[in-house]
Amino acid sequence: MNAEHVVEMRGICKRFGGIHALRGVDLELRRGEIMGIVGDNGAGKSTLMKILSGAYRADEGEIYIDGERAHIRNPQDASRLGIGMIYQDLALFNNLDVAKNIFVGREWCHGPLGLLLDKKRMYRRAEELIRELRVDIRSPRLSVALMSGGQRQMVACARAIAFQSKILIMDEPTAALGVTEANKLLSLIRNLRDRGLSILLITQRIPDILAIADRVFVLKGGQRQDVLEVSKVSLDDVVTMIVRGKDRAGDPTADIAYKSFG
Amino acid sequence: MPRIDLAGLKKYTIMFVLLVLMALFSIASPYFLTWRNISNIIIQNTYFIIVAIGLSFVMIGGGIDLSVGYQMSLVGVVTAMIMVVYHWPVWLAVALGLLLGTALGLINGLIVTRIKIFPLIATLATSVIFQGVSYLISQAKSFRNYPEEFLFVTKGIVLGMPFDVFLTLLIVILASFVYYETVFGLRVVALGGNEEALRLAGINTRRLRVALYALCGFLVGIATMVMIAKANTMNSSFGPGTEFIALTAAIVGGVSFMGGEGNVPALVAGVFVLAVLGNGMQLAGWGTYAQFIVRGLILLGAVAFDEYQKHARRTRQKGSC
Repeated sequence: MNAEHVVEMRGICKRFGGIHALRGVDLELRRGEIMGIVGDNGAGKSTLMKILSGAYRADEGEIYIDGERAHIRNPQDASRLGIGMIYQDLALFNNLDVAKNIFVGREWCHGPLGLLLDKKRMYRRAEELIRELRVDIRSPRLSVALMSGGQRQMVACARAIAFQSKILIMDEPTAALGVTEANKLLSLIRNLRDRGLSILLITQRIPDILAIADRVFVLKGGQRQDVLEVSKVSLDDVVTMIVRGKDRAGDPTADIAYKSFG
Repeated sequence: MPRIDLAGLKKYTIMFVLLVLMALFSIASPYFLTWRNISNIIIQNTYFIIVAIGLSFVMIGGGIDLSVGYQMSLVGVVTAMIMVVYHWPVWLAVALGLLLGTALGLINGLIVTRIKIFPLIATLATSVIFQGVSYLISQAKSFRNYPEEFLFVTKGIVLGMPFDVFLTLLIVILASFVYYETVFGLRVVALGGNEEALRLAGINTRRLRVALYALCGFLVGIATMVMIAKANTMNSSFGPGTEFIALTAAIVGGVSFMGGEGNVPALVAGVFVLAVLGNGMQLAGWGTYAQFIVRGLILLGAVAFDEYQKHARRTRQKGSC
């Protein structure tokens, strides 16, 4: 195993009935980098990331975290290994406030048998997270149901990084945001990388990837095509790889143009 | 524009409605606002409150249990027979009754989560089964003459009120504490809000849901003991019908039919709204049949308000995305 890699996935396969969603995919994420995960609809991006986050279990393949073999059977296993994921639908609880959204499932407890919520600590930590992320949320006691799309996205971010996550997976984080809110989020992702997090970013918005990612991982039909260094490729190169795949990427590209996959 | 928190509004509305009803009936009848009448209303509704709290755990968790009244029928005849036919000790009869209630809830929970039958249908089916078993066991007989120590539940006077009033108060306080202060309570509310998100947060949601049905069954068991002691008789027809009152009270008291919302004080107020309506209409000479119509209309109104609230929230979220 390469010590530079915080995540290594080897030969990951996943079938849903007769459909092969992933066919022997290998992925390596370097420490402290942002890696974009791109591919057309049905390429297997979300499935691959859900396997890493414990939402799905791989049929075949191995995962290594910090060079150690990891057995990720559920989201709690992933969380213990320092993996946080922000889902496309954000997986928030509209009936709960910000602090409870951040902590539910991993509550801070006190009292006999640890059955009681340590609300004081939870609200204090939620307030700190809001401050750290420089989020426009007045109080951790606000209900998530009353928030804008951007604020909800920030709550999901806070939830994912609240527990010393070292690997953060984001599934289409800018898809439901306006331009201003999307830019704020991209700058937040950069800040998180600067704080040492390794980030996997699924998106259909290729310019977002080119703006903030270090490398881009291309999937097509459940198979890895290539990993491109963002500094050495253009938008057209990425789009061509997504549409044609590795084998035909050298063909003339005149007929392929970026039309926003979002 | 400032946004209105409809859930909060609903919580206080029910308290206001209760006060308005009490004011109206006290004008309509001089007997309504007497200590004797008010204490009667409280005493007569203790077991409804206990059942409604049990049901609230299932409903706030996003489920429903229509079988609670029939669980009472089955638990009731089994407990009664153990005491008056087999003459086993009271403590053992009560313990077995509570265990049976918990087991019936557990069965409901397992059917809903393992066989994955829609809770409304699953508990409708089990309610028929529970009633059939209850009649098979009781042979449609009534059971009377309970030991004095059992009747203490409702006949024992503490600080001028029957013991079951304090038992109910204790359950109300405990349930409120569980909802607001414990990890379990937070997860119940989260389960009703977004089950998939809770699963992704690493919680075994199926196990949690089964636990909620079992807890409901346990509380139904306690309510059954109060019901038997209050009536000093038990047969298989006792219990059915309770589910309608508990369900109506829960929804009127702000427990969402879709799960994720509700609080115990408002739930108790919901029970008392129905009780005050029944009592006040009786005193005003409206009779029982009119009460059925009013209760049905209240249930419809409460569900419509709940739906309106959900719709308003969905629209608002679409608008903010």
